[in-house]
Amino acid sequence: MQTGTKISVAGHAFLVTWALVGGWFESDPLPFQSQEVSIISAEEFERLSAVRAAPEVAEIPVAPQVPTLAENTPRVPNRPDPVPAPAPAEPIAPPAEAEVAPEPPAPEVIPEVPATVPDAPDVPELITELPRVAEPETAQPTDRVAPEPVQPPEPDVRVDDIAQDEVAPDQGAEANQPVQEETAPEAASDRIVTEAEAEQAEPTAPLITSRPKPRPTRPVVQEAETPAPPETEAPAPQSAQVDEKPAPAPEPKPEVESSAVEDALQEALTGAGEVEAPEPSGPPMTEGERDALRLAVSQCWNVGSLSSEAMRTTVVVGLSLSRQGVPDAGSIRMLSSSGGSQGAATQAYETARRAIMRCGAKGFELPTDKYAQWRDIEMTFNPERMRIK
Amino acid sequence: MRNALATLCLGLATLLTLAPAGQAQDGPLRIEITDGVIEPLPFAAPAFIADTPAASQYAADIARVIAADLVGSGLFREIPEVSYISGLSDFDAAVNYTDWKAINAQALIAGAVNLSGDRLTVRFRAYDVFAGQELGSGLQLSGTTDGWRRIAHKVADTIYSRLTGEGGYFDSRVVFVSETGPKDDRKKRLAIMDYDGANVQYLTNSNDIVLAPRFSPTGDRVLYTSYESGFPQIHVLDVGKVQRRVLSTNDAAMTFSPRFAPNGTTIVYSQSEGGNSDLYTMNINSGQSQRLTSAPSIETAPSFSPDGSQIVFESDRSGASQLYVMASSGGEAKRISFGQGRYGTPVWSPRGDYIAFTKQNAGRFHIGVMRTDGSEERLLTASFLDEGPTWSPNGRVIMFTRETQGAAGQARLYSVDVSGRNLKPVKTPDGASDPSWSPLQN
Repeated sequence: MQTGTKISVAGHAFLVTWALVGGWFESDPLPFQSQEVSIISAEEFERLSAVRAAPEVAEIPVAPQVPTLAENTPRVPNRPDPVPAPAPAEPIAPPAEAEVAPEPPAPEVIPEVPATVPDAPDVPELITELPRVAEPETAQPTDRVAPEPVQPPEPDVRVDDIAQDEVAPDQGAEANQPVQEETAPEAASDRIVTEAEAEQAEPTAPLITSRPKPRPTRPVVQEAETPAPPETEAPAPQSAQVDEKPAPAPEPKPEVESSAVEDALQEALTGAGEVEAPEPSGPPMTEGERDALRLAVSQCWNVGSLSSEAMRTTVVVGLSLSRQGVPDAGSIRMLSSSGGSQGAATQAYETARRAIMRCGAKGFELPTDKYAQWRDIEMTFNPERMRIK
Repeated sequence: MRNALATLCLGLATLLTLAPAGQAQDGPLRIEITDGVIEPLPFAAPAFIADTPAASQYAADIARVIAADLVGSGLFREIPEVSYISGLSDFDAAVNYTDWKAINAQALIAGAVNLSGDRLTVRFRAYDVFAGQELGSGLQLSGTTDGWRRIAHKVADTIYSRLTGEGGYFDSRVVFVSETGPKDDRKKRLAIMDYDGANVQYLTNSNDIVLAPRFSPTGDRVLYTSYESGFPQIHVLDVGKVQRRVLSTNDAAMTFSPRFAPNGTTIVYSQSEGGNSDLYTMNINSGQSQRLTSAPSIETAPSFSPDGSQIVFESDRSGASQLYVMASSGGEAKRISFGQGRYGTPVWSPRGDYIAFTKQNAGRFHIGVMRTDGSEERLLTASFLDEGPTWSPNGRVIMFTRETQGAAGQARLYSVDVSGRNLKPVKTPDGASDPSWSPLQN
């Protein structure tokens, strides 16, 4: 064997060995950030802009399947009239002195209110005129705490969850043009600022208004134009769920002359051969897409009315979404909880459910080609960071 | 060679294909939500339905008090009636959730009022609009017309509890010192009112100075300090009968700053003799007292923990007034406040999780809270003079005295959420100080 051949064989052997086992010695990849971009034509941009500027067509509310009261709303039990409380003998007999009525027969009814207010006390005078109430010396910065601080909107701007610019019809235009009112989110700070802190600290509101990004237009799925799946000898999948998913578009054939190497690569990448293909669910959800969903739910997750114990409770909520990103109300369920009692978990779950239903009412903005990736979701609601705000 | 290269590339491509497959999403998409918003939860409270024409005024008034209670807590925001798409005309009819969702009402309160003679019957239901279901079961309360406000407070407490998961505080009262007249000739007398400032009634006349009233755990008695004898002595007053008696056992000693133990029969207080103040306990039935501290410093403002096992108090034994905790039977005290300034008037939360206090630092007074070990100190207010905190029955709200500066300065009651939000004045007819919040009424 010639020296050149030996070197070639050794080199190839090393290359194959490195290819097979080299991954074991790989170091952790350096962190990097990626930004997804898409290129659209001027016509598409015009079309998208036109859609965005157009007023949203309000969805016709679907008539709810209102259950009959007997099914879903328990009847208020009738209560026997309570025994009237004896009249207090002393001038001041607060309501606490009144006799407590007997427990109602129904277990869920709270004890009846005594509500026998005593007579007015025998006091020299009873001043009923209310004085002028002084305002607090320092107003609270905002009533709303949100992940991102928001400056107060202009006085003539209507407060709304979605920010939109004002659109006025052009002067002299012949056709009726839609008018859009300017809206802006409610002012918010990124943490609770007490009066003591407000006196010492600089204002926490940002100097520049942080306006939400415009809502991207959801790509329209046109079922009729979906290309037919390539014919294959393998039997078609029987699952109804699979039938709902659009078939992946066939890879365009390269224009260059195919070679054995390219054929092999193509065969491997298209999933043919011995490798079992994953479910046709599109590419994985990117971190940006996950963050968008996370942010969308966060904006409606209002923990302001939760009890202290519920604020220490983490709940995991499972749900299913339609293709339009709308939560299926019947699928929302609490999978697990930790950190609090059952009652606190129930409160935390109800708050999470409200967040999902409220912000998902018009559908979360999710890539439709990845529906199988986000059809079923498990959301963990962890209020730990909110406790310290 | 060409086939070998193709095989090699096939292997490489296979590895490349398998790698992302191994990282592919397994099962449902999982995300974690850690950021949310803190804002009042919007609710709708249409006027309650009057079963009879005579009940219409009560129906409207009760709904207003309920809404005022919820809004006043700072946790809820009422949606104005002009925004309603539809109303409620039949208490027993099913709710059209779509109309309430459209105006972002996350909770809906429906009620009906019946008046028969002087007896009011109130039925109510609360709904979780976005869940499309009722929150708990419908309830019914009954009482006399004189007590319509208490009925409303009871309803509000129930709704508050269902929405927040913790007990309410609306059906409670506050005893305080009513102050009238100029600063150099101020008249003080004990007064009692609903938590929201309604139904003010006076318990003493203004002949003698009274200080620091404190409710008993059952809300039927009040401890306070009076200068009726010329120097401070502790009295106990039966709120229902408006009868009082002196509790001091030593006529020569000044006793002040009393507070009930959770058992309702023991009190803890300060007694001053020879310029030195120490803490004592007393059984109010037998009059037997026990000395808890014996130090040359001033110990005062004691407050029991909810289980009665510990006492927090203020002492200047370290040179400046600081907070200490010790066993309720006495013994070694542990200092828990270490910040700058002076600490005083500590009060243990009914939940047992926090201690509220007054802090004086850099010429300003603050109301603050800290954990019972002194950690997580947080100042909630700042003003010329804030002092004397008292906890709401559910441990969520603190009421205190705020006095404004100057000769025309006057003391007022304020309340603030334990988070520092919702700072607001409490309506009182005159100046007011030294509030003490009662437990929830039965």
